[in-house]
Amino acid sequence: MVGSTPRAGYFYVLPALLLMIVILGFPSVASVLESFGVGTKGPIGLHAYAKLAGDPEFYETLRNTAIFVVAVVSMHLVLGLGTALLLNQELRFRWLFRVLAILPWTMPDIIGGLIFRFMFDTLTGGVNAVLGALGLASAFDWLGDPTLALGTVIAAEVWRGYPYVMLILLAGLQAIPQDQYEAAKLDGVNAWKTFLHITVPNLKPMIYLALVLDAIWECRLFGMIYGMTGGGPGISTQNLSLMVYKQYFQFFDTAYAASVAVVLAAVLMVLAVPYVRLALRDEK
Amino acid sequence: MKKMSLLSIALVGVVGFASNALAEIKLTYSDWQLAQEVWGKSLNDVIDQFEKENPGIKVAREPVQLAQRDVRFSTAIRAGGGPDVFALDANPVRQYIAEGWVRDLTPYIQAAGGKDFLGDFYPISLQPVTVDGKVYGLPMNTVAMTLVYNKKLFKEAGIDAPASTWEQFREDMKKLTRSKSGSGPVDQWGLTLVLAPAGFDLRVTSIVRGFGADFLTPDGTRSAMDTPEAKAAFNYIVDLIQVDKSVPPGATQVDANGARRLLANQTVAVKIGTTWSYPEVSAMNPALDGWHTLGMAPIPRSAGKDNQTRTTLFQKTVFVNQNSKHPEAAWKLARYLTDPAAMRRWFDDNNMLSARRSVNEGYEKISQSESARTVAAEIEHGAFLPQTPKWPQILDAFRQNLQAAVVGSKSRDQALDDLNRQINTILE
Repeated sequence: MVGSTPRAGYFYVLPALLLMIVILGFPSVASVLESFGVGTKGPIGLHAYAKLAGDPEFYETLRNTAIFVVAVVSMHLVLGLGTALLLNQELRFRWLFRVLAILPWTMPDIIGGLIFRFMFDTLTGGVNAVLGALGLASAFDWLGDPTLALGTVIAAEVWRGYPYVMLILLAGLQAIPQDQYEAAKLDGVNAWKTFLHITVPNLKPMIYLALVLDAIWECRLFGMIYGMTGGGPGISTQNLSLMVYKQYFQFFDTAYAASVAVVLAAVLMVLAVPYVRLALRDEK
Repeated sequence: MKKMSLLSIALVGVVGFASNALAEIKLTYSDWQLAQEVWGKSLNDVIDQFEKENPGIKVAREPVQLAQRDVRFSTAIRAGGGPDVFALDANPVRQYIAEGWVRDLTPYIQAAGGKDFLGDFYPISLQPVTVDGKVYGLPMNTVAMTLVYNKKLFKEAGIDAPASTWEQFREDMKKLTRSKSGSGPVDQWGLTLVLAPAGFDLRVTSIVRGFGADFLTPDGTRSAMDTPEAKAAFNYIVDLIQVDKSVPPGATQVDANGARRLLANQTVAVKIGTTWSYPEVSAMNPALDGWHTLGMAPIPRSAGKDNQTRTTLFQKTVFVNQNSKHPEAAWKLARYLTDPAAMRRWFDDNNMLSARRSVNEGYEKISQSESARTVAAEIEHGAFLPQTPKWPQILDAFRQNLQAAVVGSKSRDQALDDLNRQINTILE
């Protein structure tokens, strides 16, 4: 019987494996080959990588990506953990608050980007209008001033993306055995120490997981930034995904675009290592 | 016997129907303007008429958003597909030709009359689509960029019409920047510029052309943004925004649509545009009565200069996909869409001028329209943006450095130096 043989496992995963090869494997190999000029009109070799190494735009884009990911992921953790702790309490209408807290996550990033673009418009945007109504300075060029633009995009993405981290941490909080909290209560441990010595250690694997997955997600974010600034002013908000898009679909420089994509994939792989290790450790 | 006859007739009918269905050619036509309400209707009407006159050909219409157009086309054509016939503006044409994505139409043009067939098109309209004597596309609409201004706001400021020199124009823009109520903060500005990607190419480059400058040397091998004219144009734009503040705050985020809205709401008195501004701005604010309130004037020049080229041209051109399995039928459709009868329809419905001189000069409605006459006259003074496959990169470098100078993250000299260096690197 197929179901009881040791090779049955391989048989069952075969469809998924084939699908992975077709959907992920072929395009990945094609991209790597393209980055070496294979299948393009350009020369074959390391030309695209040599160009990348000497391109100041690439370094600025890499820097933008790093700042964006570190800022967004750390703020997602703070906001996501805080909200998860609140929503884990016995509250009236808790279901309603949970639905409201998840709402930003349901918004497609490109739509979110366009909405924020209108909100932060210098002349007609709601943000400057509110500041003006409060009697504060109200002519901020949120998306046009390079000193403000990246921060504004970060703020928008913090709002849109925190529910993902919150959901993972909320699931983690609900899995913590209640008897630990009861024992702490009996011993007279205060709330802060309970959080520090019971909640955080129990939640650690989930925090780890949330950070890794969120960092991967934010690294490849496209729609939100494209919708809000298109990478501008100049390239002050351009991340690696936008650079790939621009090189491929606007400049038709396929080898160069592929080389940036390969670098992005390498960064994502490095980020994915802790996640894979965590998953393998759980299996053992 | 009777039964047999009836059966035979039915069989003949079925076979005839089947063979007709087999003989029917199915084409696809893709155009960003199919997605627009008024343009979409006139394009669909003309294609319906084409189908009536060519019973063996059916045309499936594929609207595409302008921002997604090149993504969709390039992906599909690389994969061996894509629409049989499609429309492009002049910007990416050389890239499409260089990639081998569009069919050489020269044999069809020769069969249609060769030079006689092409003779009706403005010679300049054929420039972007002609490489090594081969013609790759049929121009549909050609227009020159001009100033579009609000006559009422000009009158209120005591100005008759936009100035013909940049020096006077700058002074007028200062006058037009004011508080509408007479006291309080400024809520009306002289003009809006388009510094965001969508629409930047045609509008800001017109100012560069107006100063008599160009982006590349005539042989196309080096940057020409280091000439005194180019520097003057660059500094002029930065001055309007930084020094005079004649442009509303948030200038770097304004795209073509944003500029139309600012003109429609009377927040600004001038924008750079062309004939399409009338229907588009009027639709945004019917209360403006755009068809009567707006006027058009040529792009100014520097005092004492009489440069022949003083603006940028826009052109919509129809191409046949290299992958098309029905090139003959595709050519027929491309020819039909650029026929004088269709050209007149584009003007009637969309206020768009033709790439055919005979239509612009012979169609009564165009001769009677002051704005159309202004734009048609400027076609002779216009030039397309540099026809090189590297142009999108050069344009991006120009936009980035201009934005950097406008927001002060680079000094003007630094931005110009960087721009020249980057253009030369791109061209290498």
